[in-house]
Amino acid sequence: MQSLIKAEIIKLFKQGKTYYALGALLSIEVLILFSAYYQGTNIIDLLLENLKQKFYFEGTLLNGNLLVYLILNTLWFHLPLILMIVVSGTLTAEYKDRTLQTIMLQPVSKWKFILSKYIVAIVFTLMVVLLLAFSSFGLSYAFFGRGDLVVYLNGLNFFDAPDAAKRLQWSFLSGALSMVFFSVASLTIAVIFKEATKTWIVSAFFLILSNILLKVDFGDNWFNQLFFAKLNDTWQYFFYYTINWQQISFNSILTIAYCIIFMGGGIYWFNKKDIG
Amino acid sequence: MKNITILIFFHLFFKGLSGQEIDPDLMKVKSRLDSISSFSTQLKLEVDISFINMPVKQAKMFYTKGKKVKFSSDDFVMLPKRGLDFSLNSLLEYSFITVDRGLEQRSGKMYKAINIIPTDKRADFSIATILLDTKLKRVVESEISTKKDGTYSLSFQYNNELKVLPDKVIVNFEIEKINIPINFMGKDTQLDRKKMKAAGAKTGSIYLTMSNYQIKTVL
Repeated sequence: MQSLIKAEIIKLFKQGKTYYALGALLSIEVLILFSAYYQGTNIIDLLLENLKQKFYFEGTLLNGNLLVYLILNTLWFHLPLILMIVVSGTLTAEYKDRTLQTIMLQPVSKWKFILSKYIVAIVFTLMVVLLLAFSSFGLSYAFFGRGDLVVYLNGLNFFDAPDAAKRLQWSFLSGALSMVFFSVASLTIAVIFKEATKTWIVSAFFLILSNILLKVDFGDNWFNQLFFAKLNDTWQYFFYYTINWQQISFNSILTIAYCIIFMGGGIYWFNKKDIG
Repeated sequence: MKNITILIFFHLFFKGLSGQEIDPDLMKVKSRLDSISSFSTQLKLEVDISFINMPVKQAKMFYTKGKKVKFSSDDFVMLPKRGLDFSLNSLLEYSFITVDRGLEQRSGKMYKAINIIPTDKRADFSIATILLDTKLKRVVESEISTKKDGTYSLSFQYNNELKVLPDKVIVNFEIEKINIPINFMGKDTQLDRKKMKAAGAKTGSIYLTMSNYQIKTVL
């Protein structure tokens, strides 16, 4: 199993598209950072418009913490899209190049092989999120400094700079879980469709559908609580003034459960299906 | 003789119109405040507005006579436009008249109520009511109806009888809830909007606590 995982890591980092993806993600991040800087001015103006009549403001809200928050808002759509392409590509490329058949001629268990792919996909996803977290904080703080964060969630919530940084770190962690879910889902889709283009289209459709369903209010019922699409904005819960840890823990456990279900389904499917 | 009577009548009439006296107690408070040439103080700000969640903030306030009040803070702070002018300068900047409204009771004590009505169009308020402690020569309460920013009511608290600058100020004001477009920054904003329409204008308060006054007086 260990040698399978090692082989998968080598394959992942030897393929050119991994680096293209990382390059694309970092470029997107820089682009978001600077567009967020200009967007940030308008956002603050809009948020504080009514308050300007009554208050003077001392200090600035257009700082690194606000920019990291704005990056997070945009990143959770672009990042899974690119992750899904890279992760599903690790399997579809093997189908295309017929290397899968070569591997399966060796004494390798099918379920161990696909499980190692899932494990590497999860580790790779976590590494990418970590890299983006470091670069987001690094670039934002380097160019725009630290400061208080203002977020509009059930009212205007202001957070002190250290508190804001902590909440942003937690939300990266929570967002990483959602990213893992999309990576796992894309690998399962690759198991089902085998072919790269079909897999990418279905994965992109899955992501877009999840984002659309996230915005749909299904009412206050169990479906709204348990549906996987509704779990993808758990990171936002860290920006309510009082953090609902119970809800966050519940959502996180549920996301992990969905990951296991999708992964289990993928392993079962891969075992059952013909390789050719 | 008739001409002299008419002359005396007109003299008294115009004197009454143009030379309306400014309340002497107000001027005593003003002159006591004017004896301060500058001061600085540490401010603690607590915001109590239903749709704003903000931790307690610290700032430093600097006042120099005849200059605009300055603030400094490491954090982002919201300072009320009214309530921090302890010198009464913003109320008495332009020409005005005063009307004695008698005595009013607050916490078992009687205070003199005065209306300040600006007679200069440049003044940014239409009327102000202030409660004066005539014995201790200081302001204990005021209500300012501004031309643009609604009405503010201010309550001043002092730690001891000698103080002319307050140790605690409570600023109450009306504020409209913010209007954020649907799906803007975060989730559940559409639900807020429904609530918002029903709620309309809100009242808010800011609690200011001053400490560590450094006062310089005119000798």
